[in-house]
Amino acid sequence: MRLMTDRLKDKIAIITGGSSGIGRQTALRFVGEGASVAIADRNRRMGEETLRLVQEAGGNAIFVPVDVGDPDQVARMVEQTVARFGRLDVLVNAAAILIRTPPLAEVEERDWDLMMDVNLKGLFFCCKYAIPAMLDSGGGSIVNIASMAGLRGYGMSLPYAVTKAGVIHLTTTAAAQYTEQGIRVNVIAPGSVDTPQFRGSTASTEAVREREEQHPMGRVGTPDEIANVILFLASDEASYVSGSLFVVDGGLASVGR
Amino acid sequence: MDALIEIANRAVADYGFRQAALWSPGDVAARWELSATETAVLEGALHDALDALPVPVEPADVPAEQERIAGIIREALAG
Repeated sequence: MRLMTDRLKDKIAIITGGSSGIGRQTALRFVGEGASVAIADRNRRMGEETLRLVQEAGGNAIFVPVDVGDPDQVARMVEQTVARFGRLDVLVNAAAILIRTPPLAEVEERDWDLMMDVNLKGLFFCCKYAIPAMLDSGGGSIVNIASMAGLRGYGMSLPYAVTKAGVIHLTTTAAAQYTEQGIRVNVIAPGSVDTPQFRGSTASTEAVREREEQHPMGRVGTPDEIANVILFLASDEASYVSGSLFVVDGGLASVGR
Repeated sequence: MDALIEIANRAVADYGFRQAALWSPGDVAARWELSATETAVLEGALHDALDALPVPVEPADVPAEQERIAGIIREALAG
């Protein structure tokens, strides 16, 4: 039984990547704490499933189909959210794809572009169009989801790692530019989290098990454990936190793995 | 047809690439220079086949799934 304390009472949030994994769990956590949410994703079927789950939990939400790599669609996503709820307080950028690639010299340009368009350019578009709406609302909080892959070498996919490093630096710079105007911008670097993307990119049930065994806790994280940190950063409890990076990896980096 | 089968093979083996093929088919079609007919298959029969795959497709099952989905592509293009 989770204690509900209205930590996001009357807040309006957009959550990209809301159709599954961390994004879906964040939507559920947010409405449980009093927020209204726009669940944004290009996966219409799963996005509408998230909407159903949120509504069954008593939450106030809409689903907005969007490809974050398309600036016109992103602009419409923000317009639609403000038109429906009247303001925008929180943006959670969780949309991302991870495509496995060979080493750098063999990476295809189109794979690089596919990941850049969603993970970095798409996140840039979401911030670009959400910030004016947040300023109109008197301020807000942006929570970007990067990855431990953005902090150190990551053999599975160089383009993915580069996009996530970019997300971290975009966050720091955006915080420098907008904190004074009342918008806090922070970034979370999750380690392995049990999402469809993690299971899919890890490529086999056996590899998932091996990955779990590498962790000091003997398991990977749950989407809820990341959503808890997102919730904190989105809420007024984090009122003095901006431009910060939060590693949430179950202690994996501390043991050098 | 070869480009479409290449897309399908990668999408079977790589969940992230599968997401791109499923949910940004126009983008993938443009980058792989698919014909209008191939794009229709990507957005139709191939979409449905990829969307029904388990996560992950276990490595031992990948060749059989790739062959099965290649058959769906051939049939769709022939039809």
